[in-house]
Amino acid sequence: MPDVEMKPADKKEEKKDDKKTVKEEETPKPPPTPNQEIKSNIVLIERAVATLEPRFAHRVLRTLTSLRKRLDDTVLRKAVEEAYVKDSPTKQSLLSWLPAAQSTDTMEVDSAAQASAPAAAAAPEPVPEVDMYLRLLMIHHLDASPSTYGKAIELSQQTVEKMQALNRRSMDPIAAKVWYALERAYELGSQLAEARPLFLAAQRTASLRHDDETQASLINRLLRSYLEYSLYDQADKLVSKTVFPASAGNPQWARYHYYLGRIKAVQLNYSAARENLQHAIRRAPAAKLAPGFYQAVHKLFVVVELLMGDIPDRGLFRHPVLEKALIAYFEIVKAVRTGSLAQFQTTLAKHAGQFEADRTFTLIARLRQNVIKTGIRRLSLSYSRISLRDICVKLHLDSEEDAEYIVGKAIRDKIIDATIVHERGWMECGGQKGGYGPEIGDAFSKRIGYCLQLHNESVKAMRYPLNAHRKELAAAEGAREREKELAKEIQEGDLDDDELGGGGEF
Amino acid sequence: MSSLKTQYTDLKASFATASPDLKKCGTLLSQLKLGLIQAGLLLPQGDLNANDLVVAREILEIGAFWSIRTQDVPSFDRYFSQLQTFYTDYAHLPPSQHEYPIRGLHLIRLLTQNRIADFHTALESLGAAAADSPYIAHPVNLERWLMEGSYAKVWGARAEAPAAEYGYFVDSLMGTIRNEIASCEETAYESLPLKDAATLLFFTSQSELLVFAQARGWQVNLTAGSITFAKKGEETMDIPKERIIASSLLYARELEQIV
Repeated sequence: MPDVEMKPADKKEEKKDDKKTVKEEETPKPPPTPNQEIKSNIVLIERAVATLEPRFAHRVLRTLTSLRKRLDDTVLRKAVEEAYVKDSPTKQSLLSWLPAAQSTDTMEVDSAAQASAPAAAAAPEPVPEVDMYLRLLMIHHLDASPSTYGKAIELSQQTVEKMQALNRRSMDPIAAKVWYALERAYELGSQLAEARPLFLAAQRTASLRHDDETQASLINRLLRSYLEYSLYDQADKLVSKTVFPASAGNPQWARYHYYLGRIKAVQLNYSAARENLQHAIRRAPAAKLAPGFYQAVHKLFVVVELLMGDIPDRGLFRHPVLEKALIAYFEIVKAVRTGSLAQFQTTLAKHAGQFEADRTFTLIARLRQNVIKTGIRRLSLSYSRISLRDICVKLHLDSEEDAEYIVGKAIRDKIIDATIVHERGWMECGGQKGGYGPEIGDAFSKRIGYCLQLHNESVKAMRYPLNAHRKELAAAEGAREREKELAKEIQEGDLDDDELGGGGEF
Repeated sequence: MSSLKTQYTDLKASFATASPDLKKCGTLLSQLKLGLIQAGLLLPQGDLNANDLVVAREILEIGAFWSIRTQDVPSFDRYFSQLQTFYTDYAHLPPSQHEYPIRGLHLIRLLTQNRIADFHTALESLGAAAADSPYIAHPVNLERWLMEGSYAKVWGARAEAPAAEYGYFVDSLMGTIRNEIASCEETAYESLPLKDAATLLFFTSQSELLVFAQARGWQVNLTAGSITFAKKGEETMDIPKERIIASSLLYARELEQIV
């Protein structure tokens, strides 16, 4: 019921704010202060609730990243004061999380609030979504400094409880973000494992309510927490037991693909891992906006490419965002490319610390066999006959005996096309096959399949605003009307029969 | 609880001897497990007394070792999955000195079954510190050599097993390796002298080799003293007609949707 009553008031406000936003657009030079931004965001949230259009809420949340860097206690306090004109329990509980402002400050704020009070006296209590939004901002603010991590956890817990009690569908986009903030708070407070039962319970509820956004967010939270503690088994089970909502936003999809890629890479399923990582790269926000994610994905991507026996593009390592972060990986790539075991070992030892921190060390350690394989392949390409002793020397293998086994394995795994002549102790390389056969068709069909999928997905991603087709219908109606008039004029006028027939057909 | 305690000390004492009575340990273990279930310690949940948990863990660890000695691998798997609760969810307990040996055994067990993906998943869940433990390093090296194809090193590593229990798995690992080598030889060589084949496959006597060769269907020429490997199907290239037609039809349908 309150929702229905609120609507007319909201609409009035909306109109007011439309004017405001127009004004803001006219003078875009001074960037809006955080307070102005919060205020306009609150308006958007109210509109989202009133029109049941989550689009507006998404617009609000898009500014979150830039906004949260500019938050401080006074900004938040002011925002709360502005959003809640009258004293209410919600306001009290919100303000209780902020440190008491200095007395002069409060005086100013109070007087400001009083000044605006008569004007907006009739304004009803803002919708609960606004409360959630302000809490979300506060959690992010508390996350920012180590001294308030405990408080952030407490506040996020309370917020989540409140959110679940309210159970409003219009709150879903914000709820998804609140979960993220909660995770962040727990992670910073290094209690991530303790939040897991909370996530699991919430995930169940969200999937029952078809709350896709919260569900997507929570699945990612869970995966992250599993992977943080290297619980790949559990993560894999979670992935197989849940369905990631297709309607989830790109950032969530990007994360999900990244986590999947990591799980698959650990499980040696490299081609699937590469596919997932490619999706993650494509869905990720622009490199400059989220360099951390971009770098993390690329680090893993490079390793997976190497594990698959491919050499990543060199241009990748010249990318301004990646250049510095990927130096160690670039050296590994060089070692693998030349097939030099010695170089590979020294590089691995040199950058072990960084790889451990990136959690790619064990994956890179697996590359050893790839280095050997590349080496053998290079040899088989350049020699038509080479003695096992020479192979042994060139690849820095320990013994001829080893070399024989290794070459044998390479032949079996179809890395090279060769035979070993044991009596004479050499390897004879067969001629290279022409690059034509069914595999070419496979490669093409894979690419074509990808293009088609991309096309279909972009068609699906198009947005059709509600009732927009009415306008078109009206336009069509008008056109038909005009057509009729034209036909009439033509009929009345002295024109040829042919033209008449042409006009009448429509 | 008091009977549990006596049984526990009993088990510990009898398992610690040089040649433990495995049968007696088996009966003690099953009694102890019943006791653990009654005390709610077999699959612990929530907060429990740390000392009780340590005792429960130790009983299960002994059970795991016992399973290996009695060559009961499924039982080892059961003990191991029960122990995982203790190792991961109750990480605050004082670390057990048996943890790495048991984890290492588990890794080798995965290797013998050729479950390489599970092997890596299990390895990844161990911390960086684990790699320094000889118990973990051993299976890790084995895996690396297996993947490279340095079978001679795997063969040589038999003697270096860090614990007696590893021996059991290493033997079955050799069976896996022989089959690997044999499949490599089939493709890599056209023919091979009998003597060299025996050394490559780590056979000491020719008769063993002959049995093995028969099982794999190799043509043994005893007079010339060589083995010839039948080339498997001289690469008849088949054009996958059905697949090509299916994909062409799919493209046509999709293109129609676009246009």
